Amino acid sequence: MLTVDTIAVKRGSKLALQNIAFTLAAGKTLAVVGESGAGKSTLIAAILGFLKPIQGQIAWSGQPVRSCRPALVMQEPRAAFNPVLPLRRSVLEPVVAAGQSVPEARIKRLCDGLEIKEEILERRPNEVSIGQAQRVGILRALIAAPPLVLFDEPLSALDAVTQKHTARLIRDLQAEEGFAALIVTHDLGYAVAHSDEIAVLRAGQIEEISTPQQFVTAPKAGYCQALRDAAIALGGLEAAA
Amino acid sequence: MVSGSTVTKLALRVSDLSAMRSGRTILYPTSLNIAPAERIGIVGSSGSGKSTFGHALIDDLRRQGHSVAQVPQSPDEALDPLRSMAFHWQEAERALGLKPGTADREALFATLKIEKGDMRKRPWGWSRGMQQRFVIAMALIGAPDLIVLDEPTSALDPVVAAATMQLLDQHLTEQNIAMVLITHDLGLASKWVSKLAVMQDGHLVEEAATQDILNTPQTKAAQSLVAHRNWMALPC
Repeated sequence: MLTVDTIAVKRGSKLALQNIAFTLAAGKTLAVVGESGAGKSTLIAAILGFLKPIQGQIAWSGQPVRSCRPALVMQEPRAAFNPVLPLRRSVLEPVVAAGQSVPEARIKRLCDGLEIKEEILERRPNEVSIGQAQRVGILRALIAAPPLVLFDEPLSALDAVTQKHTARLIRDLQAEEGFAALIVTHDLGYAVAHSDEIAVLRAGQIEEISTPQQFVTAPKAGYCQALRDAAIALGGLEAAA
Repeated sequence: MVSGSTVTKLALRVSDLSAMRSGRTILYPTSLNIAPAERIGIVGSSGSGKSTFGHALIDDLRRQGHSVAQVPQSPDEALDPLRSMAFHWQEAERALGLKPGTADREALFATLKIEKGDMRKRPWGWSRGMQQRFVIAMALIGAPDLIVLDEPTSALDPVVAAATMQLLDQHLTEQNIAMVLITHDLGLASKWVSKLAVMQDGHLVEEAATQDILNTPQTKAAQSLVAHRNWMALPC
């Protein structure tokens, strides 16, 4: 279980996060939503250990998070790969770095689950579509079976149809593999449809953590409500009946 | 050419526009009629040719002498990071043949709720939401016949995006300006347009009233977009 215990994080002289506290159990999904500059990426950097909290602790089952070898799926799939290497080389980096042997059976199973034709792994990032590249990015994240996977806007580079398809593949693999998922997104529809809890971040603080159902039917007055209403106006959510 | 809002606007028509890139046809001959003040969404998946059609449509209508404004997906594409906001504004005025300072900036800024923006600053001194609204305000100088927006909300936070669309919607209604909204997101388009044009593989495959497409999509491309228009509508 991921435990974020009342942390504060500084970026330069600015307090980028404060009073952030939540837990995320194995197999569960937490969606983190909020405007640009709210601290979503800072939270990911802090969980991965790139930024050290000036207050509070972050742990995975009592150990430093890095010890569980968490994985990260980035927003821009093609930019996340070395452009001159075939995708297979990049995909295998996590297992090579851990000194493990190449898990051929696992690659095949994950490729099936992510609907990746194995031959595209021989191509370079700019020789595949963005949708394919993002599925390969997810393949790389999952290759070493991490117990915790962080997704930073995993679908925002994809079109509306591909987004929903990819979200379902992630969810099915999560059910099989049991990893905990923290998804940073500005897509409220995605958060509502595919998470167990939604944390609304604003100006470095959590406004509310609620279930998707609560978020749609009775968001906290103020910013959370404005966010829900905006998602309805933009067609990402249906108004609650 | 700049036409004032009092002038009765003509219907716009483009016929048989096509485009090729590297020897490959990316847009097959495509036509579209746009009635005065009509709202049309051009929708389709990535690579379906919707942005290409949008560009061809803008070029052709401008060649016909219509005043067409364009708002790109990201303000980064519209604004020079080394120039002040005031410079951009004057450049837009000059492009329309207006003397600097003649466009009613205050009214447009008030319409789009652009407050406390320092015109001496460069784009990065403004928030992205404000930058995108500034670009829309520039596009509205001289009340064009048509404004073409390519994924105008994707770079914005939902609250800012919804507010921007609402303000724009109101302004277009008051000024009788037609709109073409290019997006992969049918959920978004269906909220703001009355007619949809569905693109697939460089073809315009279906064109009908928004409600008709939502209720009875005819082609595979439209059916897929309708089925995926909303996260909650999907079994998962």
